[in-house]
Amino acid sequence: MKDLPQTVYVVDDDDAVRNSLKLLLKSAGIAAETAASAQEFLSSYDVSAPGCLVLDVRMPGMSGLEMQHELNLRGAMIPVIFITGHGDIPMAVEAMQHGAFDFLQKPFRDQELLDRVQRALARDAESRSRMRHTDRIRERLASLSPREREVLDLVTQGKANKMVAGDLGVSQRTVEIHRAHVMQKMEAGSLAELVRMMMSVAP
Amino acid sequence: MAGSDDNGNGVSADRGLVRVRTIIVAGQSSRRTREVLNALSGFNNVIWPKSLESALEQARSADAGCLVIADDLREEPVDEFLQEARELHRNLPIFVITDPDDVAEAVSAMRHGATAVIEIPPSYSTLREEVTRAMQ
Repeated sequence: MKDLPQTVYVVDDDDAVRNSLKLLLKSAGIAAETAASAQEFLSSYDVSAPGCLVLDVRMPGMSGLEMQHELNLRGAMIPVIFITGHGDIPMAVEAMQHGAFDFLQKPFRDQELLDRVQRALARDAESRSRMRHTDRIRERLASLSPREREVLDLVTQGKANKMVAGDLGVSQRTVEIHRAHVMQKMEAGSLAELVRMMMSVAP
Repeated sequence: MAGSDDNGNGVSADRGLVRVRTIIVAGQSSRRTREVLNALSGFNNVIWPKSLESALEQARSADAGCLVIADDLREEPVDEFLQEARELHRNLPIFVITDPDDVAEAVSAMRHGATAVIEIPPSYSTLREEVTRAMQ
């Protein structure tokens, strides 16, 4: 599946800031969209859209921190870069504790923002790639029969075929057949790879 | 069933044994470090290791309740020390004390694994509250 292009969303109630940031991002070849309020952004935002968010802390109506809380409730994984002209330490700490990617005080240099945006976009791409990988493993797991799943759980605990056969009350040959099916369905080249796959989807 | 309770001062009773969790204060011998130590004087389990190695060793200990990075550290930048402490003990609450309004330092500390950043002055009460919560 082809990835959607990344977009930087700028949410700020100040027209001048929105327009200048949009121009700056476009000049760096980065697609940008703007919204004048948290409500405007949230009404059209699709949590599956890749990119990052440049978010003003203080806005009329819903503040940037409140919007971050709302995004967390929606399960959005988009990296958030806060910008503010009136930042203080408790505000920055709260934003970071709730998962902000960065917190930048105005005025800032253009390059400073671009660097952080690039890092945020890289983080977003990495997170989405990791998520797609774990989704694929979960799909493969779902394709296993209940018996194959039991065999998988026991072999990834380090048990030899003979022990698995004893635990399940079946012959060693039956375990070998199930194990081969597991390796094939999980597309694993080795037991070590299978263990890594299970670790990557562990809760 | 063996019970366990905590008096909020880092002392927990478990299976009849009393275990005292320590509050580790890391910082050079500066006025601010001493002010932090004074602010925590109500706790009877505060230690101030004489070296960074010792502070990290204490942070590794199961009895470590929290780590307070009180001041600049001579041998290495706070962020590196913080990262090292975080790698050694993933769940240890780590508080960083900063100058007022140094938002950039606070953000950097949070990115490197601080649990919270507390500006001093104006108030030590936040530090005492955070430490009390961490010890519980």
